[in-house]
Amino acid sequence: MTAYLINLATLATIFGILAASLNVLIGYAGIFSIAHAVFFGLGAYAGAQLALQFIPDVLLACLAGGAISAALSLCLALPALRVRGEYFVAASLGLQMMAVTVFSEAHSLTGGHGGLVGIPPATLFGADVSAPAPFLGFALAVLAVLLLAVRLLMRGSFGRALMAIRDSESAAEAFGKDVRALKTLAVALGCAMAGVAGALFAFYMAFVNVESFTLEQSILVMAMVIIGGTATLAGPLLGVLLLLLLPAGLSFLPFIPPTQIGAVQQLIYGLAMTLLMIFRPAGIAGGRR
Amino acid sequence: MGVPFSIRGLDKKFGGLAAVQNVDLDLQEGVTTALVGPNGAGKTTLFNLATGHIIPDGGEVLLDGKSVLGQPPHHIARLGVARSFQDLRLFGRMSVRDNVRAAIEPTAWLWQPGGGVAARKREAAVDAALDRCGLTQQADARAVDLAYAERKFLSVARILATGARIWLLDEPASGLDPHSRARFVQLVRDAVAEGVTICLIEHNLDIVTELADRIAFLDRGAKLAEGAPQEILRDPKLIGIYFGEQRT
Repeated sequence: MTAYLINLATLATIFGILAASLNVLIGYAGIFSIAHAVFFGLGAYAGAQLALQFIPDVLLACLAGGAISAALSLCLALPALRVRGEYFVAASLGLQMMAVTVFSEAHSLTGGHGGLVGIPPATLFGADVSAPAPFLGFALAVLAVLLLAVRLLMRGSFGRALMAIRDSESAAEAFGKDVRALKTLAVALGCAMAGVAGALFAFYMAFVNVESFTLEQSILVMAMVIIGGTATLAGPLLGVLLLLLLPAGLSFLPFIPPTQIGAVQQLIYGLAMTLLMIFRPAGIAGGRR
Repeated sequence: MGVPFSIRGLDKKFGGLAAVQNVDLDLQEGVTTALVGPNGAGKTTLFNLATGHIIPDGGEVLLDGKSVLGQPPHHIARLGVARSFQDLRLFGRMSVRDNVRAAIEPTAWLWQPGGGVAARKREAAVDAALDRCGLTQQADARAVDLAYAERKFLSVARILATGARIWLLDEPASGLDPHSRARFVQLVRDAVAEGVTICLIEHNLDIVTELADRIAFLDRGAKLAEGAPQEILRDPKLIGIYFGEQRT
């Protein structure tokens, strides 16, 4: 049972980082990306390759995953600068579809559909941290550092400028905000954090393949952020807990056959999203709209 | 008296529609100029062209005699030109205080230059602007929760706090009750007394008469006349156009 709980906690921590990273885009910068799993995947592949080819240091992998995702986030920043609203959602959908194809076909980098297997156990400065408890400790430390960084940045002028752009791009420009630079930086920050989550995920699963980085994953993370509450620090974490613990909780209910858990889960998600949008559109932890 | 902001032969077409045609306008230092004209005359488009929100097809925009044509809006804003919007465009989900803070933070990069001293100076400017606009009590309220008149004053507070020397105000007093309107007029007069150059678009001719030193009359994208308020507002032809009775 303890191992099961540590497993849930580790996944919740990794998805907490991922949801917090998407919150930078959606909640603070108003960039509704449905391609976030792409950057989660880039970080995972980068971390996995670093471990497989060079050194299985989880901190280095996080840094590499973050750097690769931040660098390639320009693929998302360019459409974000040119189109807004529903047009950007469509553009990010296109990016998500393309990325899944690339992940599936670039065998030498991603292992194709079979993925990358045999990722060595995680180390930290030479010490083995692959056991469940130390790995959870490391992941929690990463989550804490990143949440602190997001809190500091969003409470300062950078955050205010992003939120000003979110609320009115033209007014933000009229008050001297360099919208292009700020949006690019927000996208790079959000994607870098997603890359860090990806690297942790690769080590934790010891295996990565394209199935973890599809549109469904992007939508799940978006649901976590929106249900939990955008533009708050606690909201995405709350969303992660609800959406990860729900299937785990359902599996303990004796009257739901195991084969039906998936369908029940989808029904609950759908209902929860619809009710939330009607009664609490800013999410559970969010304020009023 | 200097001319800090000048527009020369500005042109803009949207498809086949000439939104602004060969418009010249000088904003003289410390002088309040009102842009008057019927709906669709091109007044707001002229503001958008002057502030870089729309790129003109031709003409020139000069700030202190130097061209700012083609520069992005944030560059022009940083040179001391502030504008408001007809639909206000407040940062709705941010607090009143953060609306003003966001407006004055100079580069809004990761960290602000100047450290604690500059930060305290900015906070003092925010406090002063909120006080002058009567919003101190509402400082922590979200912009979207303010009453209509308070929103209007917040749009002015953002400009006031920037310390900009040229203000372009797009229908800043529309829909205000008489008491708020009187407060607004006083606010503008105080700013002018401090040396601010103002250009305002306004449909309320009482406010135009109270505030404007000069009027530029626009119709269908062209400037038909410019002069002192009593001269323009007594011209039966212009008044006829304004109230839709006749067209040239």
